[in-house]
Amino acid sequence: MAKGSRKEKRKIEIMDTALKLFSKNGFYTVTIADIAKELEMSVGNIYNYFSSKDALAKELIMYISKILGSNIRQINMEKISAKEKIEKIVRFYFSMAKERPELIDYFLRVYLSHREVFKDGCEGMICVSPFVTEIMIFFEEGVKNGELREQDFFSAFGLFMGYLGGMVYLKGEGMLPNDLDFYINSISENIYRALKNEE
Amino acid sequence: MRVELIEKIEGEAKLEYRFKQDKIDFVKIVFPHYRGIEEILRNRPVWDALAINPRVCGICGHAHLFATVRAIENLYQNAGIDVNIAEKAKLIREITLFCEHIQNHLKWIYLVIVPIMKSIAKINIDQNSFLEIQKAIVNINRVLAIFSGQWPHSSYMVPGGVVCDPTHLDILQARNFLKNALNIVERRVFENIVFEEITVAELEKSKTDSGKIFRFLKENSLLSIGKANDRYLIFGEHSFTKRVKIIKTVSYPVKMKYVNEKSQKSGFAKNVTYKSNYYETGPLARMMLLKPNLIKQLHRAYKDGISTRIFARIAEISFLFKIVEEHLNSIELSQKSYNHIKTDIKEGYGESAVEAARGSLIHKIWVEKNIIKKYEIITPTQWNLSNGTPQKPATAQKAMIGLKNGKLAELVFRTFDICSVCTTH
Amino acid sequence: MKSKIVWIQGVTCNGNSHSFLNYQNLDIFLKKVEFLYHPLLPSKYSLKELSEKRFDFDILIVEGAIKKSYERGIVSLNTLMEKLSIKARKIIALGTCAAFGGVFKSYDEKNIKGLIFDGEEKKGFFKELEKKVINIPGCPAHPEWLIYVLNMIEAKKKILLDDFLRPKEIYAFTVHSGCVRNEYFEWKVDAKSFGVKEGCLFYEQGCQAPYTHGSCNKILWNEVNSKTRAGMPCLGCTEPTFLKEELFKTKTYMSIPANMPLGVPKRAYLTITGVAKSFKIERLNKRLIDES
Repeated sequence: MAKGSRKEKRKIEIMDTALKLFSKNGFYTVTIADIAKELEMSVGNIYNYFSSKDALAKELIMYISKILGSNIRQINMEKISAKEKIEKIVRFYFSMAKERPELIDYFLRVYLSHREVFKDGCEGMICVSPFVTEIMIFFEEGVKNGELREQDFFSAFGLFMGYLGGMVYLKGEGMLPNDLDFYINSISENIYRALKNEE
Repeated sequence: MRVELIEKIEGEAKLEYRFKQDKIDFVKIVFPHYRGIEEILRNRPVWDALAINPRVCGICGHAHLFATVRAIENLYQNAGIDVNIAEKAKLIREITLFCEHIQNHLKWIYLVIVPIMKSIAKINIDQNSFLEIQKAIVNINRVLAIFSGQWPHSSYMVPGGVVCDPTHLDILQARNFLKNALNIVERRVFENIVFEEITVAELEKSKTDSGKIFRFLKENSLLSIGKANDRYLIFGEHSFTKRVKIIKTVSYPVKMKYVNEKSQKSGFAKNVTYKSNYYETGPLARMMLLKPNLIKQLHRAYKDGISTRIFARIAEISFLFKIVEEHLNSIELSQKSYNHIKTDIKEGYGESAVEAARGSLIHKIWVEKNIIKKYEIITPTQWNLSNGTPQKPATAQKAMIGLKNGKLAELVFRTFDICSVCTTH
Repeated sequence: MKSKIVWIQGVTCNGNSHSFLNYQNLDIFLKKVEFLYHPLLPSKYSLKELSEKRFDFDILIVEGAIKKSYERGIVSLNTLMEKLSIKARKIIALGTCAAFGGVFKSYDEKNIKGLIFDGEEKKGFFKELEKKVINIPGCPAHPEWLIYVLNMIEAKKKILLDDFLRPKEIYAFTVHSGCVRNEYFEWKVDAKSFGVKEGCLFYEQGCQAPYTHGSCNKILWNEVNSKTRAGMPCLGCTEPTFLKEELFKTKTYMSIPANMPLGVPKRAYLTITGVAKSFKIERLNKRLIDES
C-alpha cells in the first residue's frame, strides 16, 4: 500500500479510532462493529483493511511502536549527551501519554496485559522492534562513549521503560498528586544516576 | 676466533669457535634476535596469552599453547579454584601435541640433518625424499587440525579443557590420516612398527633412511662424536613422562624451584641451569627415561654421542605414532570437552611444564586483577644451548669441544634440533 | 623457465614457512618454481650469498615484520630488503606481520611495521614499493592463498586488490562465510560454553569471523577444518588491527556486540536480531546429536 494513499489514510483513521475506543471502553468490550459505527463505515468495509480483530490488534502495536521508535530515533541522532537524551526521551514519553494517551494506554493495558492476543506473529520483539531497537541504540552509544555503565540490556531496559510505564499507569489510575511534567526532572535524574558510569 | 653463521634452524645462530691445535677448544653460541613476547604479554588479560604464545614459534606453537593453558590452570588452582579436566580433553591435548612432535621430527631429519650430512660426505638419501615425507607431514597436521581447527597457530586449548567437540566420524578420519602418514614413514624412515625396540645390528642392516643414516655415521666414524654431559632433564609430565633428572641412567625427582634462568652478556638468549648444572632435554632425555632397546644399546656403545641423539629422535617418532593411535582409540566422546571454571583472580602465580618436540618447556605467569603482570618462558633450546665456561661447558658446547672442524661441529649442533625463534622469544 | 623466488624473513615466528609446508601439492608446485632462498627448504644460496652475490629473480616473499636494524645473516634486514626489493618483479608480504606489523609490533611500535602498512595506516618502511606489493595477511597465511597469488603472477593475470592490498578473491569473503555454525548466527543462538558444536561464538566467546576478511571457512585449514568449526573464536588475524585485546570474550555495550557484521548498519542488525531472538527454534536449542 503506497504511503499517503487514500487507503493508507483510511487505515490510519481506523487505527486511531480503534485506539480511542479501546482506551475508553476496554479492549474486549469493543467490537469491530463498534469501530465501524464510530467511523460510519460498514463492518464489511473494515474487514477489507483488517481480517480480524486480532489482526487489527497486532497492526496497532506495530503502528505505536513505529511512532515511538521514529521519535526516539530523532533524539538518538542529536549530538547531545546520554544524560540529555534521557531527559528528552522522558519528556517525549510523558507528552505522548498526555497528548495521545490512547497510544501508551494500548501499549500498557492491551499489549502488555493481553499476551494471548499477540501469541501468533507478535512473539518477543517482532511487533515492537522499531521502538526497542532505538532504545538499544541509545544504550549502546551511551556505554560506548563511556557515559553509561556496561550492564545487561534488559536490566537497563526494564529500569528505564518500566519506570516510565509505571508513572503513566499511576497517573491513569488517578494516584499521582501532580501532573506528569512535574516529575520529568527528578525521574530523568533518577534514571541517569541508575545508568551512569561511575568509574 | 672464527664465527660461523648457522642458518635454517628456525632462524639463525652464530657459533664463535676458539681453536687450539686444530681442535675446537671452546665455542660460544650466540642468538642475535629478540622479539619481546614476554613484554607483549604484560598488562594483557590472562586468556590473551592463549592467542599470543603459540606465536612464539611456527613449528612448536602447540607446545607453547599447552604450556600456557597449564600455567593458567595452575594459577587458578593456586587461587583455590577447582580445575577439573575430563580425561577426553587430556587425551585430545596430548594427541595434538604428539602430532606436532612427529611433524617436527620428520622435518628435522630431512631438512636439518640429512642436508648437513650431505655436505660432509656422500649419503644415499635422495634430495626429493623430503617431498615424500612432506605428504606424511600434511597428513599428521590433518590429524591435529581435526581437533585444533588448524595448524600452525591454534588456541583451541582453554583453561577447563578443549574447545572442540569431536564426533566418531572425526575420530575415524583422524585415524585414517594417521595411518596414511604412518604408511609413508614406514616406507621411508623405518620399516618396523616397533623400531625403537630393534637391535643396533638390525638398524645397521635396514634398507630405510634410518639404516642409511646409521651406516653414514659408521662409515665416517661419527657414531660417538658429540658426547655431552650425559645428564638429562624432563619437566613436562605426560602419559609417558614424569618430572625427573637422569644421571648415569638413574632417575631422580626434580623441583621447579631449582631451575635458574640468567641473562648473558652477548646475544639475547638466557642461560638455564638446574641446581647450577647444565642438562640435556628433548627426545634423548625422554628415551633415556623410557629405555627402549635400540636406545639402550646405542647408549651403552656410544653414550650420548650423536648416533644416540639422532636415533632417539627417530625412535620417538615410532613411539609417538603408537601413542596417538592408542589415544584416538580410547577417547570417550560422551565426556565433556570443557568444564567451565571461575576465572576471577585478584593476585596469583602459576607455572607449568610440557614436553615440546625439543624438550622441556616452562611457562610462568604472575597475575594481578585478571591482568598479566609478568610472564616468563624457558624453552628447550635454552637448556641445550646455554653457554657455560671452558671449565664447565654447557650441553651443546661440551658436545662440540674437541672436534676437528666447523662442519662436524655444525652436524653435532644440529642434532640438538635448534629452534632459534623459540630461544629468542 | 621456472620462476625464481627469494623468501626472506623479518621479525617472525616461521609460522608462514611451516604453513607453506602444509601445502598438499608441494611436490607439483616445486617443479614449477626455484627457491633461490627459503628459510626451511634446501635452496640455491646461503643467507650470506644472498647478500653478497648478484643474481636476478622474479618474486620476493617477505615473511615477518620489518625492523630495519634486525640482523638477517651477515647484514641488517634493511640492507637485505633494499637490495632484493629493487630486483624483484613482484613482492609478496606474506602473513600479518609482513603486511601490517602483526603480533610483534606491540613490542616496539615505532620500529616494527609492515612493508607498506603500519597497522591500518600506509606508513610502512617500504611504502614506495606499493605498486609491486601484494599483501597476504593471516597468522599464518593459508598455503593455498600464497600458491594462488604466485600462479596469478606467473600467468600475468590481474589480481584485484582491496584497500589493504589484499587479493579480493581471498579476502572479499568473511571468515564467517561457510562456518558450520551459521544457522546459530542466523537465529541468534549463542554457544552456551566452549567445547560444544552447537551455538555461535559471536555473542559471548569473542568470535570476530563476521567482520574479518578471509577464506578460512571456504578453503579449509589443512583441508579439514577451521578454527570456528572446531569451536575456537576467530581472532581476526587477517586484519591490520590484529592483535586486539580480550580475545575470548565478545566486547559488548549494554549486551550489544561492539562490532557489527561486515557492512551491516547497527539498526538493521538490531532489528533482525530482535526478531530472530523472538522465536525459539527448538532444534537449535538442544544438542544436535542426542538419543531422543
